[in-house]
Amino acid sequence: MFKELDPLLHSELRLGIMSILISVEEADFVYLKEEIKATSGNLSVQIDKLEKAGYIKVKKTFKGKMPRTICKITQKGINAFEKYVEALRSYIGEKGGGSKTWL
Amino acid sequence: MEEQKFTEKESLELISRMIQNTQRKMEKGAGTPMLIWGSATVITTIIVWLIVRTTYNSYWNFLWFLIPVFGCIGMLLRKKQSRGIRTYVDKVIRSIWLVLGITGFTLSCLSILNVMWHLPILFIIILIMGMGTVLTGLIAEFKPMLFGGIVGMLLGAVQYLVPNYDAKMLIFAAIFIIMMIIPGYILNQRAQNHV
Repeated sequence: MFKELDPLLHSELRLGIMSILISVEEADFVYLKEEIKATSGNLSVQIDKLEKAGYIKVKKTFKGKMPRTICKITQKGINAFEKYVEALRSYIGEKGGGSKTWL
Repeated sequence: MEEQKFTEKESLELISRMIQNTQRKMEKGAGTPMLIWGSATVITTIIVWLIVRTTYNSYWNFLWFLIPVFGCIGMLLRKKQSRGIRTYVDKVIRSIWLVLGITGFTLSCLSILNVMWHLPILFIIILIMGMGTVLTGLIAEFKPMLFGGIVGMLLGAVQYLVPNYDAKMLIFAAIFIIMMIIPGYILNQRAQNHV
């Protein structure tokens, strides 16, 4: 039986953001943009979605005179990410790494 | 990029790629705090040594407070180039140095102010800073720091055992070159090449 994949995480951009945030204490907007290779507008929208879901916390500060947006994963986000990976494993395990698409 | 076809395999690959990239990032100038605090200690030691051995007045030991003065000025002046992330390793290392720094500073104050005059304070400082260096080397998996810390602590025993004031002071300065300045320099060179 396949477990349901969290649609909020099953998106390349949002999963990229969450994968970075799960392995660090915090990351800023510029870093995420460079790593994920997304446009600022698109990244902002995805960060906003994750924040509204309670998966990440966003803090706006200043570095000198430049505004800086810092993102940090929440416990809810960690739980969702772990559940997502577990669900992913059920697909890989049962299908041996097939290539069916869900989105 | 958003909402395009995305397989479970691609999903797993993306997760591992992002995590690996993040772990490999090395901060440019990561060794600078070690260079600053190591240099502050070596310079201050030489100053105190030269003045005390020419004046024979232990009052000049108050000059040890130049270490935090030089160190803080250096830390304020350094150009911090943020890499945009703060890892858990950074947090652990920062916490270790905060606790050890406060401990070392408090014990030094108590010794210089003659509250605990009998403490072998230089030896204690070598042990405290040596432990910090070894722990940082182990956590960050950076061998020059690990070996620097071990050699520094071993030389600390020599520093404690030699009876001569000049030798004690010069060994103390040499230990900070081995334990902090050299690993800090190597770390900066590596970070420069890996960023």
